[in-house]
Amino acid sequence: MENKRPIVEMRNISKTFGSTRALKGVDFTVMHGEVHALLGRNGAGKSTLVSTMSGLVASDTGTIRIADTEVVANGQPYAAKIRDDIAHVQQTPQLFNLLTVAENLFLENPSVQKRFGLVSHNRMRTQARALLEKWNMDIRAEALAGELGAGTRQLLEIMKALSRGVPVIILDEPTAALSNAEKHLLFEQVKALKALGISFIYISHHLDEVFEVADTVTILRDGLVVKEREAVGNLNVELIADLMMGEKTARSVRSDHTRYDAPALLRAIGVGIYPVAELGVDFQVQPGEIVALAGPVGGGKEALAMMLAGQLTPYKGKITGADGSLPTIGLVPTDRHASGYVGMLGVRENVAIGGLDLLSGRLGFINREKEASHVGHLATQTNVIASSLEQAVSQLSGGNQQKVVFARALCHNPQVVVALSPTRGVDVGAKEQLYALLRDLASKGLGVVVVSDEEDEIAQLANRVVIVFEGKLVAELRGDYTMKDLILRMEGVI
Amino acid sequence: MSSANPTKGAKLQSSGPTRMQAFGSAFVSGGYTMYPVLLALVVLGAIVAPRFATSTNLINILEQVSVLGLTTIGLTFVVLIGRLDLSLEGVVGFAPMFAAVCLVPAAAGGFGIELPSWLGLFIALGVAGLIGVFNGFMVVRVGLNPFISTLGLLVLLRGGVLIVSNGRSIYSPGPALTYLGSAKLFGLPVSVLVFGLVALIVGLVFKYHRYGRALYAIGGNEDAARAAGINVDRVIWSAFVFAALLAGLAGVLMTGRLDSAVTTQGQGIIFSAFAAAVIGGVSLGGGRGTMVGLVSGVLLIGVINNLLTLAQVPSFYVQASTGAVIIIAAVLTTIASRRSSGVKTRT
Repeated sequence: MENKRPIVEMRNISKTFGSTRALKGVDFTVMHGEVHALLGRNGAGKSTLVSTMSGLVASDTGTIRIADTEVVANGQPYAAKIRDDIAHVQQTPQLFNLLTVAENLFLENPSVQKRFGLVSHNRMRTQARALLEKWNMDIRAEALAGELGAGTRQLLEIMKALSRGVPVIILDEPTAALSNAEKHLLFEQVKALKALGISFIYISHHLDEVFEVADTVTILRDGLVVKEREAVGNLNVELIADLMMGEKTARSVRSDHTRYDAPALLRAIGVGIYPVAELGVDFQVQPGEIVALAGPVGGGKEALAMMLAGQLTPYKGKITGADGSLPTIGLVPTDRHASGYVGMLGVRENVAIGGLDLLSGRLGFINREKEASHVGHLATQTNVIASSLEQAVSQLSGGNQQKVVFARALCHNPQVVVALSPTRGVDVGAKEQLYALLRDLASKGLGVVVVSDEEDEIAQLANRVVIVFEGKLVAELRGDYTMKDLILRMEGVI
Repeated sequence: MSSANPTKGAKLQSSGPTRMQAFGSAFVSGGYTMYPVLLALVVLGAIVAPRFATSTNLINILEQVSVLGLTTIGLTFVVLIGRLDLSLEGVVGFAPMFAAVCLVPAAAGGFGIELPSWLGLFIALGVAGLIGVFNGFMVVRVGLNPFISTLGLLVLLRGGVLIVSNGRSIYSPGPALTYLGSAKLFGLPVSVLVFGLVALIVGLVFKYHRYGRALYAIGGNEDAARAAGINVDRVIWSAFVFAALLAGLAGVLMTGRLDSAVTTQGQGIIFSAFAAAVIGGVSLGGGRGTMVGLVSGVLLIGVINNLLTLAQVPSFYVQASTGAVIIIAAVLTTIASRRSSGVKTRT
């Protein structure tokens, strides 16, 4: 039997994004008919590793062999060579919203293709119905994918991958949007396919799932393998948490400036994060406090932050300030490219749009001296490095762009700063500067709300951590919490 | 929040652009790209056609472009925020026509309500403003794509002109409507002064007013503008209103110059307005464009039309050559802005 030979063999895989080395020479193998769980904290390199495997991201070095196809990686795209051997289900469903369920499922499936590149819609529909039946799903094959709920979309994506008949399937956080019943449906299918010799690479933040479906575990930390191909029976939660965490390497420590005796700056009273939420959540920010909102993707932490920032209207309940009026709030949005900065405008203009009314006179014309001094001051405070304040922000490095976004958020002299993923895609040096900035703001009595997926970041900043899950505040850590507490709560173990 | 030297904010990067590059970049982003071309054309015109470089002819050019200029300024409000408004052409025809039929007696083709003449200007601008409010409503509240909603309105207004006028032009609609387009002040046509004044004020607003900053921010990245606390919906809505008001004013100038509200008034002007804006470096993708550049685009179109006419090019060829010039100028502008900023723009 050729089953002794691994179905996937990756040697010396490395990948650099800008100034961050996401993978530093990783070896990874998968055997026939095995469910191989890939674990690690956020940013450890899990998603990058599986992306180099499927060719979604091209590896810079090393070799990749899947079944009988071998690729020598040099940073050039190679996805086309291996597409018949591997399917990759990403964290967020990649469906065509304006195509039907059947079309989405069989878009590239050879079984419905006819001569001259034509597609048999009849065959497509029949096969789609059979597949939906098999998965016990009560949706029409003719429904548009865009009309479906998040869980159904996720399942469709998985079904599409499973029905392609490839020997290796990557499931990257497949259960994030699934209900318990849907999860078990998925696990049954995975086990059935495993029995047929199909291999899975399984990424999840829920260790209980790993113990349920996985055979083998590999753990990544900072782009390196720290535990290779360990049988799942030899591991337990404690051991995994220790391996994922590694040596404590906090570069800076949090400090607590919370003024507990002062009235809260910002309060959420009975706020409904989801439209269907029965119970609203209560939440408040004290002056000088840095609160982190954490929890799984789609759990509602970002929605709550946007409601606190006044960008989203709560489905019920209200957001209010200390004396009934709202405080001024500075927002650092989650994706700076999409909604952080205006690339074609310069640093000065980008910062100034955060406080146009403060900087302009009675007729609404900008007071240019005031603008220059205020923006200059903020640029110094946030350490923006640019050739001049007129340089277009699109030309700056990621870290400096993010600093510009911070400067803009501070332009209106806010009492509360809401920062979503404050250091995403930012190099280490800029990260430390932004942490120091947030701590400095807190020491001056501002309230700071941080939304983050990174345990390190939270541990270095937050005096209080609130875990948001399924639209509810499910856990809270205060004061002297340890890194381990934090990781276990964020991974959903406790 | 204290700093030793608040004005010196940004630290210098080691590899900044050279002085020459900086000048080129400022030249292009300031909207001066087309002025050398314009100057060359004027010199060429003076050599080729003796009648070109007379003050009468130059003033004549300015008078002719003032209607296009106001329409282009209006259009630029919505183009800066990444939208467009085709209905401005309809406003140029409809607003003064509606005012005219309210003023003149039934025998001259009016409604017969014979409102006092001084109301004329206010009626025209009021109608234009309402059209702008409608456009804003369709885009902001209903969520229509402005291309289709303003295209529909353009066709509707064309028909509307024929309905209210019964298909006949209205002659001598009264001094309040015709003053701006026909009178002279300090030896210059009032229409030129109006265009100059509006260009100056709107230019200052674009550059130095918080409203102008909001327009550029929304055009550059709407979500970022929202996150910065700008009331994006209100700015979009008001941009449509300003655009329509300026088109209404342009229509009044045109009616004044002809001393009549003509049923075909303004037809085709929206294409020239788009051309003038693009030639002047206004990006149809939004977020980019200056008053200085816009004015150069308007002048260029005016000068070319005038030169071709003076050179006694047959009128069929005038139209075709204008089109060719527009394409050439747009190519030049795009290349210039790409060279200077390294940013790919869609014009």
